Amino acid sequence: MDAEELLRGITPLAGDVTAIRTVQETRPLEEFADAYVAEVNVKSASKVIKALDSSFPRDPSQPMNHLRRFAKHNQVPEHLRPALLRDGSSPSQTIFVLISPPLPDTETLQKVLAPFVPENAVSEEGAVPLHPVRIPLQPPMTTVQADTWSKSMWPVVFNPAAPRAMVAPPPHVLSRARELIQPNAGRYLALAQQMAEVAEQSGLGRGVGAVVVDPDLEAEIEIDETDEAGNIRWADAVVAVAGDGRYSRREVGMDDPPQPGTGPNPNIQTYDADREGGPELHALMRVVELISSKRRQDGPVSATGRPCLNYLETYFMAQSDVPVSESHDSSPVPEKYQKTTETAAHAIHKESETEDVPASRIRPRSQGGYLCTDLDVYLTHEPCICCCMGLLLSRFRAVIFPRGGRMVSGGLASEPVVQPVPVETEIEAEAEAETETEGEAAADSAEDKKKGAEPAKSREYYGLHWRKELNWRALGFEFVEERPVAVRAEEGVAFHA
Amino acid sequence: MSGEVIRQLQHGSQHSFFMKQALLMGEKALATGETPVGCILVYNNTVVGYGMNDTNRSMNGTRHAEFIAIEEMLQNYPRSALRKTDLYVTVEPCVMCASALRQYQIQTVYYGCGNDRFGGTGSILSLHSDSSIDPPYPVHGGLFHKEAIMLLRRFYIQENEKAPKPRPKKHRELKTNFDNSHSPILYVK
Repeated sequence: MDAEELLRGITPLAGDVTAIRTVQETRPLEEFADAYVAEVNVKSASKVIKALDSSFPRDPSQPMNHLRRFAKHNQVPEHLRPALLRDGSSPSQTIFVLISPPLPDTETLQKVLAPFVPENAVSEEGAVPLHPVRIPLQPPMTTVQADTWSKSMWPVVFNPAAPRAMVAPPPHVLSRARELIQPNAGRYLALAQQMAEVAEQSGLGRGVGAVVVDPDLEAEIEIDETDEAGNIRWADAVVAVAGDGRYSRREVGMDDPPQPGTGPNPNIQTYDADREGGPELHALMRVVELISSKRRQDGPVSATGRPCLNYLETYFMAQSDVPVSESHDSSPVPEKYQKTTETAAHAIHKESETEDVPASRIRPRSQGGYLCTDLDVYLTHEPCICCCMGLLLSRFRAVIFPRGGRMVSGGLASEPVVQPVPVETEIEAEAEAETETEGEAAADSAEDKKKGAEPAKSREYYGLHWRKELNWRALGFEFVEERPVAVRAEEGVAFHA
Repeated sequence: MSGEVIRQLQHGSQHSFFMKQALLMGEKALATGETPVGCILVYNNTVVGYGMNDTNRSMNGTRHAEFIAIEEMLQNYPRSALRKTDLYVTVEPCVMCASALRQYQIQTVYYGCGNDRFGGTGSILSLHSDSSIDPPYPVHGGLFHKEAIMLLRRFYIQENEKAPKPRPKKHRELKTNFDNSHSPILYVK
C-alpha cells in the first residue's frame, strides 16, 4: 500500500486529551517531624527570628515556608492549648515561635531564646520551656489539608502556586501543551494505530505503533479546509513513525533476519519472554533510533541491522532525506538554541517559502538537533517501564497514549481509572454477562460496575513521566476515547509495549 | 550488602576479575568521551558481551552499556541464554536498563556504585523485585565502588560540549575522598 493513500484514509480518533496525574499528586507524601514551640515576648518577634536564623542554618532542600513561624494565642491548635496557654500569659504580651527541623540541641537553643522569653515563663531551674510539637514537612496540597493541619498540628499556609514544581508540571505549562496537543492528537493516534496494524501484519512485531511529532512544525501548518479529501498536510509535522519489531532480530543460526510475512506472528497470542526480542525493538525505542540516525546523518545501526521495517517507516524517513540548505542559514545551530529574537518556527517557515531546498524534518546534529528534545511521541499503548525511561532519557517534551491502550506492564499511569457507577443493578449486569455473546467484555464491565474502578489485573502505577526523584521529566497525557473501546489492551495478553 | 559479603566478592577471584573487566570498559568509555559506565555479560564463566555507554557517539540517549553488551551477546547466543547470564556493571543499572534486564530475565546483577539519579535496582525504584510479568532477579552492589565512583567523578568535572547549552565547570575539583556512601554523586557542583 502507498503511504500517502494510507494517510488520506485516516479517520481521527474522537476523544479528549487529559493530563496523567503525577504519583506525587495521586499518592501525596505525608511526612511529619518533631519541632519545638517556645513562648516569647511579642515585641521581640523580629529579633527572635534574626537570632534563630543566624544561629541555626536552615536546610535549603527542606523548605519550611508553609509553616507559620509564629502563632498568636488564638491560633494555637486546640490540643496544644493546655500546655502552652499557662496562667499569667497574655495575648498582648507573648506569642509562640516555632523551631522547625533541622533541630538544634536544646541547650544551645534555650540560650539563644533566653533574652526574649518572658520572665514568668522561665522554669524554676531557669530553663526556657520548649514544647514538643509535630509538623508536616511538605506544604499542604489543598486548603482543606491546610485547615486540618492548622487545627491538628501547627498553623500552616496554603499557597497554590508554591512549591509544586517537584510535585507536578506548572499548571500553565500543562494546560498550554494540552490545548496545542488536543486538536491533532486523534489524527496522530490514528496514524499510530495504522502503524501498529502494519507492524502486526508484517509478522515482525506486535501491534504497537509510535508517531513522533515536532510541535514547531505543527504550528507552521496551515490546513486548507476546502481540500478535505486529499489534504494530508497535517502529517507534515510527523518526523518519524515506527512499529514494534520484536520478532525481526536475526536469531543465532539464521542466515538472514526474518522477512515480512503475510500475517501476524503466532507468538503474539501468548507471552514467552524468550520470544519477545527485547525492549530495543519496541516501537518507542525504534522510533528513537530512527531519529538518532538522522541526527548522526548515517544509517541506523539497529539491533536488526535494518533501519526501516516497512513502507510507512521508510516513507517518513525519506521526508528527512533531503540535504539541508546551507545557504540560507549562516549558523549551524538552529535558532531554537540561539539566543536571538528569531524563533525556530520562523526559520522553518522562511525556508519553505523560498522553496529552494526543503528543510529536513529532523535536524542533523550539525544543525543543532539534539536527542528528541522538544518532540512529542504518540503511542498506541502505554509504554513499558524500560521505554518510559527511554523516552525521558531521549528528552521528549510530551507522551500521549489512548486510555484503551493501558497495559498491566505499563509505566505511565499513576492511578486506576475511576469509572462512573452505573444505574444498573449488579444482578442485571451479571445476567447480561452470562447471556451476551461478547461475554468477556460484558463481564469486565460488570466487574467495573461492582467496584466503580478498573482493577481487573493488579499492576503497579509508576507515573514515570514526572517523578520528582528523576532529573528528566516529560508531560504525560492520556487520550480518553469518546466511545468505549471494544477490547482494552489491559485485558489482553500481558506483554511489554 | 554487608561489608563482609563485599569483601568476599571482591576477593573471590572470579567476581573481582569480572568487575575489573567492566571497569576497563568504563575506562574505554571515558577515553572516548562517553559517560564512563562499562559492563560485561558472563555466561558459563565466559565473557560473552562487552558494553560501554554509547549515547554521545550514537546521538541516542538510550544506548547504555547494558544494551550494547546484550546486543553483542545475541549475535552468538539465543535469547534464552540470558537466563543463565550474569551482568557486571560499574554503576547500578538505570530505570530503563533495570527494566530491560528483567525483560531479558538476567540471572544476577553485580554493580559497583549506586545511582541516585536514575537507579532502577534499589536507589530510585526497585524494578528487580517489584511485581511484574517477569520473574525478579537478585542484585549485589558495592563491588569496587570507589573505582566506579572515581571514573564518574573524572568524567563529570569535564564540560559537556555536546549539550545545547554547555555548563561551565571551571571551578570544579576532582574529589578523592569517600564517606561511607556508595553513591557517585559527590562531585563539587
